[in-house]
Amino acid sequence: MYARRLLPIASILALSALLFALPSTAETLSPRQFIESLGEETIGAITNADVSEEDRLTEFARLFRKGFDVDTISRFVLGRYWRRATDEQKVEYQSLFADFIVTTYANRFRQYSGEKLLVDGERPASKRDTIVSSEIKPPDGPAVRVDWRVRKTGDDHKIIDVIVEGVSMAITQRDEFASVIRRGGGGVETLIAELRNKSSADE
Amino acid sequence: MSLKTEIAGRLSAIGLVVALSLSACATPMTNDPDARAELAAINDPWEPFNRAMFEFNRALDRVLLKPVAQAYRGVVPDFGREMVKNFLDNLRSPVILANDILQGETDRAGETGSRFLANTTVGLGGVFDVTDIEFHNEDFGQTLAVWGFGEGPYLVLPLLGPSPVRDTVGLVGDTLMDPVMWYANRTDRYAISWVRYGMRAIDTRSRNIETLDEIERGAIDFYATVRSLYRQRRADEILNGHPPQSVPMPEISWDEDEQVEENQVSAVAK
Repeated sequence: MYARRLLPIASILALSALLFALPSTAETLSPRQFIESLGEETIGAITNADVSEEDRLTEFARLFRKGFDVDTISRFVLGRYWRRATDEQKVEYQSLFADFIVTTYANRFRQYSGEKLLVDGERPASKRDTIVSSEIKPPDGPAVRVDWRVRKTGDDHKIIDVIVEGVSMAITQRDEFASVIRRGGGGVETLIAELRNKSSADE
Repeated sequence: MSLKTEIAGRLSAIGLVVALSLSACATPMTNDPDARAELAAINDPWEPFNRAMFEFNRALDRVLLKPVAQAYRGVVPDFGREMVKNFLDNLRSPVILANDILQGETDRAGETGSRFLANTTVGLGGVFDVTDIEFHNEDFGQTLAVWGFGEGPYLVLPLLGPSPVRDTVGLVGDTLMDPVMWYANRTDRYAISWVRYGMRAIDTRSRNIETLDEIERGAIDFYATVRSLYRQRRADEILNGHPPQSVPMPEISWDEDEQVEENQVSAVAK
């Protein structure tokens, strides 16, 4: 008697347990928590004195690719030239750009000297994006205002832009790339050649 | 440098702007609407001149300003440099106050005013910052922006660096409303102005050595990078670091589909 009545309840319970269990396995972080935990992880990795400089860089590159949507960023910074590029150019550009941006940020983080990341809020930027605002506070000197543009894709959060004191890294990069392409006669090839030079110079 | 020559110097900078704008008709025209929109957004019709000035300033920085700034940071202890910065900030306060008022920012004007009073007296002429009010800068270029003036074409001035037409006019305005400059010129103590601008340059440069090195190292086109950085920084300063939250950033389109739509709309509009 009771068993029959209980059956639907049990199945609802089972179902809801399943529903609740699903997201918690993958991602229940808010964009803000995502930035906080990524920040902690990154600072942990670059201050880890137990590993070699090379391993630190490898670990940084891994975290960077985990935290940043390099694909989306590479398309954005190429702007209107993205649609003009051939498939081959797109592939080569994206691979060169990924190395370029990892190197750029690794150099920036190499100067790390005890700064603290203080996340202080979040606000929606578009349907998919959230701006997480923070301050980076050096041990001495004034804090720097840093906004993180975080995009949600499925259950995953990824950073697509970093805005330091109102200056967007992505827009700066896009403006620079556009200038390189325009001065080179309007072809994406010029930029690819420059990125090739850059990557061989950095090695 | 007397007041007359100082103003004449600033005015000749404006004369230069006018002369350049007459030659701006030579800007290459293109039929591609995307390319036209891009050129309009960059708004740098004097780019060849600007690039030459940029390289001139860079060379000067390499041989003079940067080494001096490095030596300054190496020799003068932290607290000494802090005192210099406090003094220079305080000396600028009347100009900042005037611009706060001209922008109708009464709260910020109050901050600047109380800071100036306390630091000039208790802080021994501004050498010590005895308040817990955060310093903020303002200039007449920002005031003009608040009043609705557009930035105008991009311009790089010798020694002074990036300074689009509106900000060049702003520099002249700030100089004219600066009591320290008036005092120095009335009493023939021109050295005051020279030492002051020199110290300001060294102080600012000494705080940016690593940052600028890093930007230069990562740049493919350093000139274009600085132009973009300057514009974004200014836009942020004009809004006093508080971008309007409800309005999305207009020039940013992170969505490919949106971008295509936008282009179609603008193509139809044309």
